[in-house]
This record gives sequence, C-alpha cells and structure tokens, in this order.
Amino acid sequence: MSKREHLLKIGVSGIRGVVGGFLTPGLACEFAQAFGTYVDKGRVVLGRDTRTSGEMLENAVTAGLLAAGCEVIQVGVLPTPTIQMYVAAIGAAGGIALTASHNPPEYNALKLFNHAGLFFNHYERAELLDLYHQSDFYQATNEEMRGVQVHSARPMALHLERVLKHIDADLIRSRRFRVALDGVNGAGSEMSVHFLRDVLGCELHAMSVDPTQIFPREAEPRPDTLGELAALVRREGCQIGFGQDPDGDRLAVCDETGVVIDNDDVLALVADAALERVEGDVVVNLTTSSVIDAVAQRHGRRVFRTPVGEANVVEGMQSVHTAIGGEGSNGGVIFPAVHLCRDSYTGMAFLLNRLASSPGTVSERVAALPAFHRRGSKVKFEHGRLGPLMQSLEAAYPDAECNRSDGLKLSFADGWIHVRASNTEPLLRIAAEATTVARAEQLQSAVEALLTAR
Amino acid sequence: MHRAKALRISPVGVRGIVGPGLTVTHALDFAAAFGTLLATDGPVLIGRDPRSSGQMLLPAAVSALLACGRDVIDLGIVSTPVLQHSIRRLNAAGGISLGASHNAAEWNALKFLGPGGTYLASSEAGELLDIYHLKKFDFVEWNHIGKLSKSTDALKTYLDELAEVFDFEKLRHFRIVVDCCNGTSSTILERVRDRFHWPLILINSRLEGKAFAHEPETSARMVGSQLGPLIQPLGADAGFLFDADADRIACATAQGEALSEELILPLVADGQLARMPGRIVLTNLSTTALVDEVARQRGGEVVRVPVGRQAAIDALSGYLPDQIAVAGEGTGAVMLPQFRFVYDGIAAMLMILTIMADRGQALHEIVAGFPKYEMLKGEVPLKQMRIPQLYSELREAFGQEGRANTLDGLRVDWHDHWFHVRVSQTEPLVRVICESRGEAPQALFDGLMEQVRRLA
Repeated sequence: MSKREHLLKIGVSGIRGVVGGFLTPGLACEFAQAFGTYVDKGRVVLGRDTRTSGEMLENAVTAGLLAAGCEVIQVGVLPTPTIQMYVAAIGAAGGIALTASHNPPEYNALKLFNHAGLFFNHYERAELLDLYHQSDFYQATNEEMRGVQVHSARPMALHLERVLKHIDADLIRSRRFRVALDGVNGAGSEMSVHFLRDVLGCELHAMSVDPTQIFPREAEPRPDTLGELAALVRREGCQIGFGQDPDGDRLAVCDETGVVIDNDDVLALVADAALERVEGDVVVNLTTSSVIDAVAQRHGRRVFRTPVGEANVVEGMQSVHTAIGGEGSNGGVIFPAVHLCRDSYTGMAFLLNRLASSPGTVSERVAALPAFHRRGSKVKFEHGRLGPLMQSLEAAYPDAECNRSDGLKLSFADGWIHVRASNTEPLLRIAAEATTVARAEQLQSAVEALLTAR
Repeated sequence: MHRAKALRISPVGVRGIVGPGLTVTHALDFAAAFGTLLATDGPVLIGRDPRSSGQMLLPAAVSALLACGRDVIDLGIVSTPVLQHSIRRLNAAGGISLGASHNAAEWNALKFLGPGGTYLASSEAGELLDIYHLKKFDFVEWNHIGKLSKSTDALKTYLDELAEVFDFEKLRHFRIVVDCCNGTSSTILERVRDRFHWPLILINSRLEGKAFAHEPETSARMVGSQLGPLIQPLGADAGFLFDADADRIACATAQGEALSEELILPLVADGQLARMPGRIVLTNLSTTALVDEVARQRGGEVVRVPVGRQAAIDALSGYLPDQIAVAGEGTGAVMLPQFRFVYDGIAAMLMILTIMADRGQALHEIVAGFPKYEMLKGEVPLKQMRIPQLYSELREAFGQEGRANTLDGLRVDWHDHWFHVRVSQTEPLVRVICESRGEAPQALFDGLMEQVRRLA
C-alpha cells in the first residue's frame, strides 16, 4: 500500500485529505456540485471549523453548490452539531461541514448531512458517490443561479436553546462553578466561552479559545493531549475541565484533581444524568465499555449495540426508542432530544447539571462507577487472511456469545474481545475489556498471539 | 456546433454561456493557473459585474487563488477599470475581473490582469493557457494558504484619480442622461453625482443579475432603444450608454440622435491631440478612416494593428506612454495614457464632455465639423475555410490600384475609400467592412459580399 492512499480518501464517508496537493479546491468544488445535484437545487447549509484551509474550501464548496443551482446558507465557523441542527431547523435540503474533526491541521474534509441534519446513511452515500464518479453534474445557467445568504447569530442561539431545555440553568448558575476549558482554538471556541461563562454563569478559565489561531495541541482530546488543561484545572482549583476537538462534537473531561477521565466513563456519567430525565433505551457501538450496561441497568433500561461509527450508532438510535447514545471510546455523546448527533455542549450541560443537583465531586462520581479494565492493540494482516483469522478466533472461544455485525465481538461473563479491521489500512484493531486488569491483559495477549500466529 | 459557440478559451481569457459552456470548473482551474503563473508578490484583487453567475464564479476563483497561497481582496461589484486602478494603487500582483462586458446576461467571462492593472501580454496569456491545459497547479501547504478580505474603498480612490485629470467643477454644469444598462457604471456615477454635486440623470441604474433592461451592447441601435428618445424631453446636453462592465460607451446628441459607435474614437482622439499634439493614435485595421483625417488635422499619426484587444496591448508595449494620444477601436472602447491604457468608458465620457466644454460647442456641432464617412458592415458564415484563396481572389478582383495591407486578413486602401475582409477571432464568420468619404460604397460592398459568400 502506498502512503499516498491515506493523503486523500474519497469514499462512502465523503471526501477527506491533506490540503495542498491532495484535497484541492477543484476536488471540493466537484464534490459539492455532485452534492448539489443530489439534493436537487435545494438550500444547503455550509459551515466550517477553524482550519487554515477552511476559508479556501468554503469558497470552493460555495461555488460548486451554486453551480448546481443550490441556494447556499453560509453559517461560518461553527461546531458540527450546531450546523447539523440548523439544517433541520430551517428545512434545508442538506448541509456540509468543512472539518476533519480530530485529524491533524493539514487535513480537511467534507462532512455531508441530509435534510434532517443527519450524516448520510449508507444508501445516500453510495448514491452520491456514484453521481460524483459519473461527473454528470447539474450546470445551472445565469437565469437559474441562486445566491448566498449569511446566517451568523441564529444557529448558535438555536443550538444552545435546545440544550437548555434539558437542564436547570438557574440551578447551575447559582453554583458559580469554577470550570476550565481547552477549546483547541476550534470551531466551538467562542460558543463554549459564551455558553459556560455568560449562559451558565461559570467562573471560566479558558485556554486555546482563539479561532484565528492554529491548533496548539494534537486535535483529538485525549488524556495524553490534554496535559495543559489538567494543569489549568489544578492551578485554578477548578471543579471540572472540558476539552473539545476542532469541530465541537467530541468532549473530554478532566476531574478536579487534574485527571482526564476515560471517555467511556464520561459517556456513562452523561448517560446516568440523561436517563434520570428522559425515557428510552441506550444505543452504543460494539467497542463501548460495559460500564454503560451497568448504568443502564440501574435505570432499568436496555443497551443496544451497533457497528462502530457515528452514522451507524445514529441509525441504531432511530430504530429503537432511545434516550441517549454514543461512542464511548471517542468521546461522543448523542442526545436525540437535542439532535441525533455527537454534541459536546449536551455533554457539558448534563455534567454541570449533575454536579449542581447532587453532592459529590467529579472524581468521586467516577469512582462510584463499576470498574472495567481495557487493553487494546493493533496488528497487521495480509489481504485475504481476514476470514481465516476471524474463524480461528471464533473457534478458540466456543462458549462465548458472538456478534459479527462489525468484525467479531466475543463476550464472556467477565469481559469481552472485539476485533475489527480498520477502514483505511490493513490493520486489525483489538480491544479487550474485563472486570480485572489480569483478565483484560490475558484476553488481549491471547487474541494477539492467535492473530499473529503463522 | 451549438456547444462550440457556448465557450471560448483563448489567450484573452475564457468566455462562455454559463451552464452549457462556461462552468465553475473552468473558473477554478483558470484562476489556479493564474495563481501559478503570477511571479510577483502581493495580493490578487477580484471583482465582478452584476450578473448572477458572478456569485458562483467569484468564490471558485477565490478558492483557487487562496489554495495557491495568494491573499485575495474582493472588491465586490466593480467595473473592470476600477479593478485595474486598484491593482496599481495597492501594488497587487494582479487581478481577475469577472464579467461579460457587452455580451448578453447569460454569458460570463474571466479577464486576467497583471501587475499595474495591465492586460496580459500575449506571451503571458499563452503561458497561462499552457498551465491551464497541463492542470499542474502550485497549491501550497495548509499553513501557507492565503486569506480573503473585502474592500469597499476602491471607488473612492478611482474618483480621486478622475478628479486629477478632469475638471468636474466645469463638467458638472452639463445636463447628462446616462443609460447604465443595469451595470457597474451606475455605482460609479452615483458616487460622482454625490461627490461632485453633479445632477446626472441615470436610467437603468439598478444592478441586475439576470435580465438587463436591454442588450448591453454599445451601438447606435441600442442608444435609440431607450436613451435617445429621453434626451430632448429632459432638456439634456448629451446622452451616454454604457455596457455592463463600463469599459465602453455609445452616445447621443442633445437632439436625441444616436452617434455611430465609430465616432467615439475620432472624438476622443480629437480632444486628446488638441492637448498633446503630434502623438500617436493606435487603432485597428477595421476602424473608420475619419480617425486618420482627424489625426492629420491635429498633426498626429495613426498606427493600425490587427483587430482585437490583445494586438493593441502588444503594440502599446512598444511605445512610451507619452508617445500615445489614445488607443481604441470602433466599438466605443478607448484607452487613455492618463489612465495607464485601460479601456474605461467613464474616462471616455468625461473626455468627450471636456471637449464640449473647452470648445463651447454642442456634441452635434463638433460632429458636424467632421467630414462625412459612410461605413457598411457585413458578415458571412465560414464554411469552406478557403481563406488564402479568398484573400488572393479579392485582391485580384478589387484591389488592383489600391494599397494592400495583409497584417490581419486583407485591407485595401484608396484615397477616399477602403475595405477590410478578415476572419473573426471570436466566431466562425468572415467580416466585411468598407467605408467611403461622402456616399456609402454600396457597389463595392455588394461585390465583396458576393465574392466572400462564394469562397468563405
């Protein structure tokens, strides 16, 4: 496999690549024109994160959409969930967010939404991709040309209003929480400062909230990238710290001692708060920790599992009556009463509401969750060997409960193993979880040995 | 054949009917080629005429320029001459003007301008085309991508420059009606009206993206459609008609009579040579012989080059600016050295009014002082492409005692009449023009047309 393959990917998830020689304005424009043709000259909401390539691609995509006869509603720099909600709110035909989410700054991507503000499902994506490859785009004439409208303030207000419906903002304000924030200079920077300081009355200690600057850290909010946030929490004696990714869909949380909490535990804490307020079950991906099962059980709810990927989880959530969903491993909380998308603002709001309404620090709440231990690794495999590998793995654990909807997941009474192939590389991702460290390590090393055996 | 007529890619730029011909991809790739071609540092300026398709072409061009690492300054809806002035004033690396000038609303075009706001020379234009066809563009890394800004003060500084050359205190006493044809001249003239307290009467002054009040063509016929009949009832001294991007004009007298577009260049040449005697009037082989006679009277000289803006631009580069009185063509497009050789309809209008003011004469009186020339124009679709044979047979049949010039097709001159037969650069046509002092050369014209129809 050449290295080049990963510098540009045009596939069912849209178009993503390294700006410069790979993700060019021409490609973005053509893809937008295909999208505009697909939504048949409708209104399309267009927003972006703070990447240096954002303005360039915004112009390319605007041109492509107009060329297809669409009307373009530019909402500027905004979090992805805010853009998604706005698509549905104004009855647009679709939406595009220019963001490579947690990828490094040299990347960018077009995220595509349907009229409901949801990620394109499998069929929509395949159909769009066919249109793109046929290159038979609608070419609007001067007479058919529609224009660009700029909507600047409404999308943010609408998003925050929806979140506020589900929490007690007065109660939160009355507590005047000391909160730290690392906005990674991303699309949520200004909105998060406004939300936490002005709307929820927190004493905010914010860093990296200048959307004109480049990302000061690795874009994915993880324990190893949030050292500065942890230091800020300790220095200012904050009760909680929030870390966002560049497009404001993912959320990482730091407790009052400066420890960045495991993302599965964040989902569990938010789900616990949400289940207290709304009816319905829980939908998560196969790799999400079993801690969510414990929380759901406490509220008498069921947990449904889907293949990995936000679009898959959202599809799963649409097929059952869902209170909350998410992908534990990557810090995504999906609360359908706000919108069927990952939303860091819902996460922040629920956590602060919980802190305000019941006693206990963040670290105490995490400690109260049942403990699960996770081990993971990646192994390479040869093309064509995937089937035999999976079969030998299944044969090695005849007593396990088996789920084949995304790779292979084998569940035991005291833990589970999940092995799935990467979408982008010839790699197998191994995840093992158990109630004890020893068991997790044993499962992980046994699987790894099996998969690498000749 | 239908498609071929909807798009034209040539060294002058790219022009076409938006949709079936000119697409967003053309705009993007051409702008990327331009961003790759530019050698000097500095931002790139961009502006457009009011056509709706400009809203689509502009961001396409902007994205390509930003991707090439260029900062872009968007001047919004401005005339090409205003854009050219801004390029020079801001020391920009160049500019792109989006607008289809005198073409109908469904057309659009990209014009490329170099440092100083000049049109590209043929060599540069050829290189641009090569880069476009190769599609190998110099896109920069993520941390060197350009930034976009908007500027609204281009008009102010343009007016400053006009005020340096023209005496508005004197000109503002004229009562003038202007047909803006829903184009960019209206934004300029509204500012002129306010700043110089000159009560200009503007019609069709609303910027319009889809349906112009009439074809944006600067011809005597178009003057007659709306502007001409208004002049006498309004008691105006003259009327002027602009195309959509304000680079050329047509005009009418106080009596409402439309003047031939062929008269614009002789008028401006007359005024310029009175101030700068002995200078050169640069024009093409198809322009009226009246300009020779005007130049002779003022002690000037006429230099004729092949038809088309590109030939004029290339020829101008061989002279010092102070050798030239005016450069222009018979379409009503003229360039003045005071404005660094930019086709500028506003400057042409102000120059004609200045001549009227200086001489204390009405427009029809000035024109009446010119000897009478009659011109006949025709066109024949090109089918057989037997062009060399056409030229040699025409020369044989009609050019016996005349002076032949083969720089661009065939032109033959006698002492009081001439003809010019050439193949159009923009359409598959043979154009036939003949002109005579006094009466129209109908017999010569009919003979030429018959021969051309047979061989074209």
